[in-house]
Amino acid sequence: MDFEAIKKVTLILLEYLPNTLSLFAWTLVFSIPVGMVVTWLKKCRCKPINWLTDLYILIMRGTPLMLQIIAFYYAIPMIVASAVNSGRTGGIIPILQGIMNHPDYMIIALVVSFSLNYAAYFAEIFRGGIEAIPKGQYEAAQMLGMTKIQTFFRIILPQVTKRVIPATANEVIVLVKDTSLANVIAFAEITMKAKQQMNFYSSIMPLFIAGVFYFVMNAVVTAVFSFVEKKFDYYK
Amino acid sequence: MKNSMMKKLLCAAVSAMMLFSAAACGESGGTGEDKSLQKVMDAKKMVLGLDATFKPMGFTNENDEIVGFDIDVAEEVCKRMGIELELYSVNWETKEQDLNAGTIDCIWNGLSVSDERKQVMLMSEPYMNNEMVFVVNGKSDITALSDLKDAKIGVQNGSTALEILNASEVVATNGATPVELSTNVEALNQLELNMVDAVFLDSVVANYEIVSTGKDYKVLEEGLSSEQYAIGFRKGDQALCDKVTATLKEMVADGTLAKISTEWFGSDVTTIGK
Repeated sequence: MDFEAIKKVTLILLEYLPNTLSLFAWTLVFSIPVGMVVTWLKKCRCKPINWLTDLYILIMRGTPLMLQIIAFYYAIPMIVASAVNSGRTGGIIPILQGIMNHPDYMIIALVVSFSLNYAAYFAEIFRGGIEAIPKGQYEAAQMLGMTKIQTFFRIILPQVTKRVIPATANEVIVLVKDTSLANVIAFAEITMKAKQQMNFYSSIMPLFIAGVFYFVMNAVVTAVFSFVEKKFDYYK
Repeated sequence: MKNSMMKKLLCAAVSAMMLFSAAACGESGGTGEDKSLQKVMDAKKMVLGLDATFKPMGFTNENDEIVGFDIDVAEEVCKRMGIELELYSVNWETKEQDLNAGTIDCIWNGLSVSDERKQVMLMSEPYMNNEMVFVVNGKSDITALSDLKDAKIGVQNGSTALEILNASEVVATNGATPVELSTNVEALNQLELNMVDAVFLDSVVANYEIVSTGKDYKVLEEGLSSEQYAIGFRKGDQALCDKVTATLKEMVADGTLAKISTEWFGSDVTTIGK
Protein backbone atom coordinates (compact mmCIF):
# COMPACT_ATOMS: atom_id res chain seq x y z
CA MET A 1 0.00 0.00 0.00
CA ASP A 2 1.36 3.43 -0.89
CA PHE A 3 1.11 6.61 1.14
CA GLU A 4 -1.96 7.83 -0.75
CA ALA A 5 -3.84 4.62 0.09
CA ILE A 6 -2.84 4.78 3.74
CA LYS A 7 -4.16 8.32 3.89
CA LYS A 8 -7.45 7.23 2.31
CA VAL A 9 -7.90 4.38 4.77
CA THR A 10 -7.05 6.67 7.69
CA LEU A 11 -9.71 9.14 6.56
CA ILE A 12 -12.33 6.40 6.32
CA LEU A 13 -11.43 5.15 9.80
CA LEU A 14 -11.59 8.71 11.14
CA GLU A 15 -15.08 9.01 9.73
CA TYR A 16 -16.17 5.94 11.73
CA LEU A 17 -14.21 6.79 14.88
CA PRO A 18 -17.26 8.56 16.43
CA ASN A 19 -19.13 5.23 16.33
CA THR A 20 -16.37 3.51 18.28
CA LEU A 21 -16.13 6.44 20.69
CA SER A 22 -19.85 6.65 21.34
CA LEU A 23 -20.05 2.93 22.10
CA PHE A 24 -17.12 3.39 24.48
CA ALA A 25 -18.54 6.48 26.17
CA TRP A 26 -22.11 5.20 26.59
CA THR A 27 -20.82 1.93 27.99
CA LEU A 28 -18.76 3.77 30.59
CA VAL A 29 -21.65 6.07 31.48
CA PHE A 30 -23.95 3.12 32.21
CA SER A 31 -21.66 0.34 33.37
CA ILE A 32 -20.04 2.17 36.30
CA PRO A 33 -23.31 3.14 38.05
CA VAL A 34 -24.83 -0.27 37.28
CA GLY A 35 -21.65 -1.85 38.66
CA MET A 36 -22.11 0.09 41.90
CA VAL A 37 -25.68 -1.11 42.19
CA VAL A 38 -24.55 -4.69 41.58
CA THR A 39 -21.90 -4.35 44.31
CA TRP A 40 -24.58 -3.09 46.65
CA LEU A 41 -26.92 -5.96 45.75
CA LYS A 42 -24.14 -8.43 46.31
CA LYS A 43 -23.38 -6.97 49.73
CA CYS A 44 -27.04 -6.80 50.71
CA ARG A 45 -28.25 -9.11 53.44
CA CYS A 46 -31.07 -10.74 51.53
CA LYS A 47 -29.79 -14.18 50.45
CA PRO A 48 -31.95 -14.69 47.31
CA ILE A 49 -30.75 -11.32 45.96
CA ASN A 50 -27.15 -12.39 46.63
CA TRP A 51 -27.69 -15.59 44.70
CA LEU A 52 -29.27 -13.80 41.76
CA THR A 53 -26.42 -11.30 41.71
CA ASP A 54 -23.88 -14.12 41.81
CA LEU A 55 -25.66 -15.82 38.92
CA TYR A 56 -25.68 -12.59 36.92
CA ILE A 57 -21.96 -12.06 37.47
CA LEU A 58 -21.24 -15.70 36.66
CA ILE A 59 -23.09 -15.49 33.35
CA MET A 60 -21.66 -12.12 32.34
CA ARG A 61 -18.09 -13.06 33.14
CA GLY A 62 -18.48 -16.70 32.16
CA THR A 63 -19.64 -16.30 28.57
CA PRO A 64 -17.94 -14.44 25.73
CA LEU A 65 -18.99 -10.82 25.24
CA MET A 66 -19.24 -11.57 21.53
CA LEU A 67 -21.97 -14.12 22.23
CA GLN A 68 -23.78 -11.71 24.54
CA ILE A 69 -23.79 -9.06 21.82
CA ILE A 70 -25.35 -11.47 19.34
CA ALA A 71 -27.89 -12.68 21.88
CA PHE A 72 -29.01 -9.17 22.85
CA TYR A 73 -29.12 -7.90 19.30
CA TYR A 74 -31.17 -10.76 17.87
CA ALA A 75 -33.40 -11.50 20.85
CA ILE A 76 -36.06 -8.87 20.12
CA PRO A 77 -36.28 -9.39 16.32
CA MET A 78 -36.50 -13.15 16.90
CA ILE A 79 -39.32 -12.85 19.40
CA VAL A 80 -41.21 -10.45 17.13
CA ALA A 81 -40.70 -12.62 14.04
CA SER A 82 -41.96 -15.76 15.73
CA ALA A 83 -44.90 -13.95 17.28
CA VAL A 84 -45.91 -12.44 13.95
CA ASN A 85 -45.54 -15.82 12.24
CA SER A 86 -47.94 -17.37 14.67
CA GLY A 87 -50.37 -14.51 14.10
CA ARG A 88 -50.01 -12.83 17.47
CA THR A 89 -49.63 -9.09 17.23
CA GLY A 90 -51.00 -7.90 20.54
CA GLY A 91 -49.47 -7.40 23.97
CA ILE A 92 -45.88 -6.27 24.04
CA ILE A 93 -45.22 -7.08 20.37
CA PRO A 94 -45.90 -3.51 19.08
CA ILE A 95 -43.57 -2.15 21.78
CA LEU A 96 -40.84 -4.59 20.78
CA GLN A 97 -41.37 -3.72 17.12
CA GLY A 98 -41.01 -0.06 18.01
CA ILE A 99 -37.71 -0.81 19.72
CA MET A 100 -36.28 -2.86 16.88
CA ASN A 101 -37.34 -0.35 14.24
CA HIS A 102 -35.75 2.50 16.13
CA PRO A 103 -32.99 3.97 13.94
CA ASP A 104 -30.49 3.56 16.77
CA TYR A 105 -31.52 0.03 17.67
CA MET A 106 -28.10 -1.42 16.89
CA ILE A 107 -26.13 0.93 19.12
CA ILE A 108 -28.75 0.60 21.86
CA ALA A 109 -28.45 -3.18 21.82
CA LEU A 110 -24.67 -2.84 21.85
CA VAL A 111 -24.62 -0.39 24.75
CA VAL A 112 -26.99 -2.62 26.74
CA SER A 113 -24.89 -5.73 26.23
CA PHE A 114 -21.57 -3.95 26.81
CA SER A 115 -22.86 -2.17 29.92
CA LEU A 116 -24.29 -5.31 31.49
CA ASN A 117 -21.05 -7.17 30.80
CA TYR A 118 -18.76 -4.45 32.09
CA ALA A 119 -20.97 -3.76 35.11
CA ALA A 120 -20.25 -7.30 36.30
CA TYR A 121 -16.51 -6.68 36.19
CA PHE A 122 -16.79 -3.24 37.76
CA ALA A 123 -18.99 -4.68 40.53
CA GLU A 124 -16.28 -7.13 41.47
CA ILE A 125 -13.61 -4.42 41.39
CA PHE A 126 -15.70 -2.18 43.67
CA ARG A 127 -16.47 -5.07 46.01
CA GLY A 128 -12.76 -5.84 46.26
CA GLY A 129 -12.14 -2.20 47.11
CA ILE A 130 -14.79 -2.15 49.84
CA GLU A 131 -13.64 -5.41 51.37
CA ALA A 132 -10.05 -4.19 51.53
CA ILE A 133 -11.01 -1.62 54.17
CA PRO A 134 -10.12 -2.95 57.65
CA LYS A 135 -13.00 -3.74 59.97
CA GLY A 136 -11.43 -1.49 62.61
CA GLN A 137 -12.40 1.59 60.67
CA TYR A 138 -16.10 0.71 60.86
CA GLU A 139 -15.71 0.16 64.59
CA ALA A 140 -13.88 3.44 65.04
CA ALA A 141 -16.55 5.31 63.09
CA GLN A 142 -19.23 3.68 65.22
CA MET A 143 -17.40 4.80 68.35
CA LEU A 144 -17.43 8.36 67.00
CA GLY A 145 -21.20 8.11 66.77
CA MET A 146 -21.48 7.99 62.97
CA THR A 147 -24.42 6.25 61.39
CA LYS A 148 -23.85 3.45 58.89
CA ILE A 149 -24.59 5.74 55.98
CA GLN A 150 -22.25 8.44 57.29
CA THR A 151 -19.53 5.83 57.81
CA PHE A 152 -19.87 4.60 54.25
CA PHE A 153 -19.88 7.97 52.54
CA ARG A 154 -17.38 9.81 54.75
CA ILE A 155 -14.92 7.11 55.74
CA ILE A 156 -15.15 4.10 53.41
CA LEU A 157 -16.04 5.51 49.97
CA PRO A 158 -13.14 8.00 49.68
CA GLN A 159 -10.66 5.24 50.43
CA VAL A 160 -12.36 2.76 48.12
CA THR A 161 -12.28 5.28 45.27
CA LYS A 162 -8.50 5.63 45.49
CA ARG A 163 -7.96 1.91 45.68
CA VAL A 164 -10.10 0.93 42.71
CA ILE A 165 -8.59 3.43 40.28
CA PRO A 166 -5.78 1.20 38.92
CA ALA A 167 -8.09 -1.80 38.41
CA THR A 168 -10.75 0.43 36.83
CA ALA A 169 -8.15 1.88 34.46
CA ASN A 170 -7.32 -1.68 33.37
CA GLU A 171 -10.97 -2.38 32.62
CA VAL A 172 -11.45 0.89 30.72
CA ILE A 173 -8.41 0.17 28.55
CA VAL A 174 -9.77 -3.27 27.76
CA LEU A 175 -13.12 -1.66 26.92
CA VAL A 176 -11.50 0.56 24.28
CA LYS A 177 -10.25 -2.54 22.50
CA ASP A 178 -13.40 -4.59 23.15
CA THR A 179 -15.48 -2.10 21.15
CA SER A 180 -14.02 -3.92 18.13
CA LEU A 181 -16.21 -6.91 19.06
CA ALA A 182 -19.19 -4.90 17.86
CA ASN A 183 -18.25 -5.88 14.33
CA VAL A 184 -19.87 -9.30 14.93
CA ILE A 185 -23.21 -7.67 14.27
CA ALA A 186 -21.71 -5.51 11.51
CA PHE A 187 -21.73 -2.30 13.54
CA ALA A 188 -19.81 0.24 11.45
CA GLU A 189 -16.90 0.84 13.81
CA ILE A 190 -13.25 1.12 12.89
CA THR A 191 -12.33 -2.57 13.01
CA MET A 192 -15.10 -3.48 10.60
CA LYS A 193 -14.11 -0.67 8.25
CA ALA A 194 -10.45 -1.71 8.52
CA LYS A 195 -11.41 -5.27 7.62
CA GLN A 196 -13.34 -4.10 4.58
CA GLN A 197 -10.42 -1.98 3.43
CA MET A 198 -8.05 -4.85 4.14
CA ASN A 199 -10.17 -6.88 1.79
CA PHE A 200 -10.21 -4.18 -0.85
CA TYR A 201 -6.46 -3.61 -0.89
CA SER A 202 -5.66 -7.30 -0.30
CA SER A 203 -3.28 -6.11 2.37
CA ILE A 204 -3.25 -6.35 6.17
CA MET A 205 -2.04 -2.75 6.45
CA PRO A 206 -5.51 -1.28 7.30
CA LEU A 207 -5.59 -3.43 10.45
CA PHE A 208 -2.35 -1.82 11.60
CA ILE A 209 -3.81 1.60 10.95
CA ALA A 210 -6.78 0.63 13.11
CA GLY A 211 -4.24 -0.57 15.69
CA VAL A 212 -2.73 2.91 15.78
CA PHE A 213 -6.21 4.34 16.46
CA TYR A 214 -6.69 2.04 19.47
CA PHE A 215 -3.19 2.83 20.67
CA VAL A 216 -3.81 6.57 20.60
CA MET A 217 -7.16 6.20 22.36
CA ASN A 218 -5.55 4.12 25.09
CA ALA A 219 -2.65 6.53 25.45
CA VAL A 220 -5.26 9.19 26.22
CA VAL A 221 -7.09 6.90 28.67
CA THR A 222 -3.81 6.09 30.41
CA ALA A 223 -2.90 9.77 30.72
CA VAL A 224 -6.34 10.62 32.13
CA PHE A 225 -6.13 7.87 34.71
CA SER A 226 -2.63 8.77 35.86
CA PHE A 227 -3.86 12.34 36.33
CA VAL A 228 -6.87 11.10 38.32
CA GLU A 229 -4.64 8.83 40.37
CA LYS A 230 -2.42 11.77 41.30
CA LYS A 231 -5.48 13.81 42.32
CA PHE A 232 -6.55 11.08 44.69
CA ASP A 233 -3.05 10.51 46.01
CA TYR A 234 -3.56 11.84 49.51
CA TYR A 235 -3.24 10.31 53.01
CA LYS A 236 -0.57 7.79 52.15
CA MET B 1 -18.39 -19.50 -0.88
CA LYS B 2 -18.42 -18.94 2.82
CA ASN B 3 -20.57 -21.41 4.61
CA SER B 4 -21.22 -21.13 8.28
CA MET B 5 -20.03 -24.04 10.28
CA MET B 6 -19.31 -21.56 13.02
CA LYS B 7 -22.82 -20.21 13.06
CA LYS B 8 -24.12 -22.95 15.32
CA LEU B 9 -21.52 -22.10 17.89
CA LEU B 10 -21.97 -18.39 17.48
CA CYS B 11 -25.70 -18.43 17.69
CA ALA B 12 -26.17 -20.97 20.41
CA ALA B 13 -27.93 -18.44 22.57
CA VAL B 14 -29.99 -17.06 19.74
CA SER B 15 -31.09 -20.52 18.70
CA ALA B 16 -32.00 -21.33 22.26
CA MET B 17 -34.10 -18.21 22.37
CA MET B 18 -35.69 -19.07 19.06
CA LEU B 19 -36.57 -22.55 20.26
CA PHE B 20 -37.96 -21.04 23.41
CA SER B 21 -40.14 -18.54 21.64
CA ALA B 22 -41.18 -21.09 19.01
CA ALA B 23 -42.20 -23.45 21.78
CA ALA B 24 -44.02 -20.65 23.57
CA CYS B 25 -45.96 -19.74 20.48
CA GLY B 26 -46.68 -23.30 19.47
CA GLU B 27 -47.06 -23.92 15.76
CA SER B 28 -45.43 -21.12 13.81
CA GLY B 29 -46.35 -22.10 10.31
CA GLY B 30 -47.02 -18.62 8.97
CA THR B 31 -50.29 -17.10 7.96
CA GLY B 32 -50.45 -18.98 4.67
CA GLU B 33 -50.62 -15.93 2.47
CA ASP B 34 -47.42 -14.83 0.75
CA LYS B 35 -47.16 -11.07 1.15
CA SER B 36 -43.41 -10.88 0.53
CA LEU B 37 -43.63 -9.15 -2.86
CA GLN B 38 -46.37 -6.79 -1.67
CA LYS B 39 -44.28 -5.87 1.37
CA VAL B 40 -41.30 -4.92 -0.77
CA MET B 41 -43.45 -3.00 -3.27
CA ASP B 42 -45.24 -1.13 -0.46
CA ALA B 43 -41.97 -0.20 1.22
CA LYS B 44 -40.63 0.81 -2.21
CA LYS B 45 -37.33 -0.80 -1.32
CA MET B 46 -35.65 -4.16 -1.12
CA VAL B 47 -33.01 -4.63 1.54
CA LEU B 48 -30.05 -6.66 0.31
CA GLY B 49 -27.87 -8.24 2.99
CA LEU B 50 -24.22 -8.75 2.26
CA ASP B 51 -20.84 -9.18 3.88
CA ALA B 52 -19.27 -6.44 1.70
CA THR B 53 -15.89 -8.19 1.64
CA PHE B 54 -16.45 -10.56 -1.27
CA LYS B 55 -14.61 -9.35 -4.33
CA PRO B 56 -15.85 -8.98 -7.01
CA MET B 57 -19.44 -9.90 -6.07
CA GLY B 58 -20.06 -7.28 -3.40
CA PHE B 59 -17.33 -5.43 -1.56
CA THR B 60 -16.33 -2.09 -0.06
CA ASN B 61 -14.08 -0.03 -2.29
CA GLU B 62 -11.42 2.53 -1.37
CA ASN B 63 -14.07 5.24 -1.08
CA ASP B 64 -16.07 3.19 1.40
CA GLU B 65 -18.82 2.47 -1.15
CA ILE B 66 -20.27 -0.97 -1.66
CA VAL B 67 -19.79 -2.09 -5.26
CA GLY B 68 -19.62 -5.36 -7.17
CA PHE B 69 -21.20 -7.56 -9.79
CA ASP B 70 -24.07 -8.65 -7.56
CA ILE B 71 -24.71 -5.05 -6.55
CA ASP B 72 -24.89 -3.83 -10.15
CA VAL B 73 -27.28 -6.65 -11.05
CA ALA B 74 -29.44 -6.02 -7.98
CA GLU B 75 -29.56 -2.28 -8.74
CA GLU B 76 -30.84 -3.04 -12.23
CA VAL B 77 -33.40 -5.56 -10.95
CA CYS B 78 -34.74 -3.05 -8.44
CA LYS B 79 -34.83 -0.30 -11.04
CA ARG B 80 -36.99 -2.50 -13.25
CA MET B 81 -39.27 -3.34 -10.32
CA GLY B 82 -39.60 0.39 -9.62
CA ILE B 83 -38.14 0.20 -6.13
CA GLU B 84 -35.01 1.29 -4.32
CA LEU B 85 -32.16 -1.03 -3.44
CA GLU B 86 -30.90 -0.71 0.10
CA LEU B 87 -27.62 -2.36 1.07
CA TYR B 88 -27.26 -3.69 4.57
CA SER B 89 -24.02 -5.04 6.01
CA VAL B 90 -24.41 -8.28 7.91
CA ASN B 91 -21.99 -10.61 9.57
CA TRP B 92 -21.74 -13.65 7.31
CA GLU B 93 -21.93 -16.06 10.25
CA THR B 94 -25.29 -14.72 11.41
CA LYS B 95 -26.88 -13.80 8.06
CA GLU B 96 -29.69 -16.34 8.48
CA GLN B 97 -30.75 -14.62 11.71
CA ASP B 98 -30.96 -11.28 9.90
CA LEU B 99 -33.04 -12.86 7.16
CA ASN B 100 -35.43 -14.51 9.60
CA ALA B 101 -35.66 -11.42 11.76
CA GLY B 102 -36.73 -9.42 8.70
CA THR B 103 -33.83 -6.94 8.85
CA ILE B 104 -33.01 -7.91 5.28
CA ASP B 105 -35.14 -9.23 2.39
CA CYS B 106 -32.48 -11.29 0.64
CA ILE B 107 -28.88 -12.42 0.76
CA TRP B 108 -27.24 -11.68 -2.57
CA ASN B 109 -23.50 -11.95 -2.17
CA GLY B 110 -22.04 -14.91 -4.06
CA LEU B 111 -24.12 -17.26 -1.96
CA SER B 112 -23.29 -20.88 -2.84
CA VAL B 113 -26.15 -23.30 -3.24
CA SER B 114 -26.02 -26.16 -0.76
CA ASP B 115 -28.55 -28.63 0.60
CA GLU B 116 -27.92 -27.34 4.07
CA ARG B 117 -28.83 -23.80 3.04
CA LYS B 118 -31.91 -24.93 1.13
CA GLN B 119 -33.30 -26.11 4.44
CA VAL B 120 -33.05 -22.72 6.09
CA MET B 121 -33.75 -20.37 3.19
CA LEU B 122 -35.47 -20.19 -0.14
CA MET B 123 -32.84 -20.24 -2.86
CA SER B 124 -33.47 -18.73 -6.27
CA GLU B 125 -32.45 -20.35 -9.53
CA PRO B 126 -28.62 -20.27 -9.67
CA TYR B 127 -27.31 -17.38 -11.77
CA MET B 128 -23.67 -18.36 -12.22
CA ASN B 129 -21.15 -21.15 -11.80
CA ASN B 130 -18.11 -21.06 -9.62
CA GLU B 131 -15.27 -23.53 -9.57
CA MET B 132 -13.06 -24.13 -6.56
CA VAL B 133 -9.42 -23.72 -7.56
CA PHE B 134 -5.90 -23.81 -6.16
CA VAL B 135 -3.68 -20.75 -6.42
CA VAL B 136 0.10 -21.07 -6.09
CA ASN B 137 3.02 -18.68 -6.37
CA GLY B 138 4.14 -17.97 -9.93
CA LYS B 139 7.54 -19.52 -9.27
CA SER B 140 6.17 -22.60 -7.51
CA ASP B 141 6.96 -26.10 -8.84
CA ILE B 142 3.38 -27.15 -8.19
CA THR B 143 1.56 -27.58 -11.48
CA ALA B 144 -1.00 -30.30 -10.81
CA LEU B 145 -3.08 -31.66 -7.95
CA SER B 146 -0.64 -34.56 -7.52
CA ASP B 147 2.13 -32.06 -6.65
CA LEU B 148 0.14 -30.94 -3.64
CA LYS B 149 1.32 -33.99 -1.69
CA ASP B 150 2.07 -32.97 1.92
CA ALA B 151 1.51 -29.34 0.98
CA LYS B 152 0.05 -26.75 3.33
CA ILE B 153 -3.07 -25.27 1.80
CA GLY B 154 -4.56 -22.02 3.03
CA VAL B 155 -8.36 -21.91 3.04
CA GLN B 156 -10.99 -19.61 4.47
CA ASN B 157 -12.59 -21.11 7.55
CA GLY B 158 -16.34 -21.48 7.82
CA SER B 159 -16.54 -21.76 4.05
CA THR B 160 -17.83 -24.36 1.66
CA ALA B 161 -14.24 -24.35 0.33
CA LEU B 162 -12.97 -25.88 3.56
CA GLU B 163 -15.56 -28.66 3.44
CA ILE B 164 -14.78 -29.45 -0.18
CA LEU B 165 -11.06 -29.44 0.49
CA ASN B 166 -11.33 -31.72 3.50
CA ALA B 167 -13.45 -34.18 1.56
CA SER B 168 -11.10 -34.18 -1.44
CA GLU B 169 -8.38 -36.72 -2.11
CA VAL B 170 -5.76 -33.96 -1.91
CA VAL B 171 -6.25 -33.90 1.85
CA ALA B 172 -7.73 -37.32 2.50
CA THR B 173 -5.14 -39.46 0.69
CA ASN B 174 -2.28 -37.18 -0.35
CA GLY B 175 -1.67 -35.88 3.14
CA ALA B 176 -1.97 -32.17 2.44
CA THR B 177 -2.80 -30.05 5.48
CA PRO B 178 -5.50 -27.35 5.35
CA VAL B 179 -4.50 -24.15 7.13
CA GLU B 180 -7.67 -22.37 8.22
CA LEU B 181 -7.59 -18.60 7.92
CA SER B 182 -10.32 -16.11 8.51
CA THR B 183 -10.23 -14.44 5.09
CA ASN B 184 -9.02 -15.19 1.58
CA VAL B 185 -6.89 -12.06 1.76
CA GLU B 186 -4.94 -13.47 4.70
CA ALA B 187 -4.60 -16.78 2.89
CA LEU B 188 -3.13 -15.07 -0.18
CA ASN B 189 -0.85 -12.99 2.04
CA GLN B 190 0.47 -16.16 3.62
CA LEU B 191 1.02 -17.60 0.17
CA GLU B 192 3.06 -14.57 -0.80
CA LEU B 193 5.18 -15.04 2.36
CA ASN B 194 5.53 -18.77 1.57
CA MET B 195 3.83 -19.68 4.84
CA VAL B 196 1.49 -21.91 2.86
CA ASP B 197 2.16 -23.70 -0.44
CA ALA B 198 -1.21 -23.08 -2.04
CA VAL B 199 -4.54 -21.39 -1.40
CA PHE B 200 -7.87 -23.02 -2.16
CA LEU B 201 -10.66 -20.60 -3.02
CA ASP B 202 -13.44 -19.62 -5.43
CA SER B 203 -12.23 -19.15 -9.00
CA VAL B 204 -14.24 -15.93 -9.23
CA VAL B 205 -12.29 -14.45 -6.33
CA ALA B 206 -8.95 -15.92 -7.46
CA ASN B 207 -9.16 -14.52 -10.98
CA TYR B 208 -10.25 -11.10 -9.80
CA GLU B 209 -7.55 -11.00 -7.13
CA ILE B 210 -4.78 -11.89 -9.58
CA VAL B 211 -5.88 -9.28 -12.09
CA SER B 212 -6.51 -6.51 -9.56
CA THR B 213 -3.37 -6.91 -7.43
CA GLY B 214 -1.03 -7.84 -10.29
CA LYS B 215 0.80 -10.21 -7.95
CA ASP B 216 2.63 -13.22 -9.29
CA TYR B 217 0.12 -15.97 -8.62
CA LYS B 218 -1.12 -18.72 -10.90
CA VAL B 219 -4.24 -20.81 -10.84
CA LEU B 220 -3.85 -24.58 -11.25
CA GLU B 221 -5.80 -25.84 -14.21
CA GLU B 222 -7.25 -28.71 -12.27
CA GLY B 223 -9.83 -27.58 -9.75
CA LEU B 224 -12.19 -29.40 -7.46
CA SER B 225 -15.97 -29.53 -7.45
CA SER B 226 -17.83 -26.63 -8.94
CA GLU B 227 -20.72 -24.91 -7.27
CA GLN B 228 -23.38 -22.38 -8.13
CA TYR B 229 -24.32 -18.96 -6.80
CA ALA B 230 -27.93 -18.08 -6.09
CA ILE B 231 -29.94 -15.49 -4.17
CA GLY B 232 -31.25 -16.45 -0.75
CA PHE B 233 -34.73 -15.38 0.38
CA ARG B 234 -36.72 -16.04 3.52
CA LYS B 235 -38.52 -19.37 3.51
CA GLY B 236 -42.00 -18.76 2.18
CA ASP B 237 -41.14 -15.57 0.28
CA GLN B 238 -41.86 -17.32 -3.01
CA ALA B 239 -43.58 -14.31 -4.62
CA LEU B 240 -40.56 -12.05 -4.16
CA CYS B 241 -38.18 -14.77 -5.31
CA ASP B 242 -40.25 -15.38 -8.46
CA LYS B 243 -40.42 -11.69 -9.27
CA VAL B 244 -36.65 -11.22 -8.91
CA THR B 245 -35.96 -14.34 -10.98
CA ALA B 246 -38.38 -13.20 -13.69
CA THR B 247 -36.71 -9.77 -13.77
CA LEU B 248 -33.30 -11.42 -14.07
CA LYS B 249 -34.55 -13.48 -17.02
CA GLU B 250 -35.85 -10.31 -18.62
CA MET B 251 -32.35 -8.90 -18.28
CA VAL B 252 -30.92 -12.03 -19.88
CA ALA B 253 -33.28 -11.64 -22.81
CA ASP B 254 -32.32 -8.03 -23.56
CA GLY B 255 -28.60 -8.63 -22.94
CA THR B 256 -28.26 -6.39 -19.86
CA LEU B 257 -27.04 -9.21 -17.64
CA ALA B 258 -24.39 -10.21 -20.18
CA LYS B 259 -23.29 -6.59 -20.34
CA ILE B 260 -22.87 -6.29 -16.57
CA SER B 261 -21.04 -9.61 -16.49
CA THR B 262 -18.63 -8.44 -19.19
CA GLU B 263 -17.88 -5.31 -17.18
CA TRP B 264 -16.82 -7.34 -14.17
CA PHE B 265 -15.47 -10.61 -15.59
CA GLY B 266 -14.56 -9.79 -19.17
CA SER B 267 -17.12 -12.26 -20.50
CA ASP B 268 -20.65 -13.47 -19.88
CA VAL B 269 -20.28 -15.98 -17.05
CA THR B 270 -23.91 -16.07 -16.02
CA THR B 271 -25.92 -19.26 -16.36
CA ILE B 272 -29.48 -18.25 -15.56
CA GLY B 273 -32.02 -18.71 -18.34
CA LYS B 274 -29.59 -20.66 -20.54
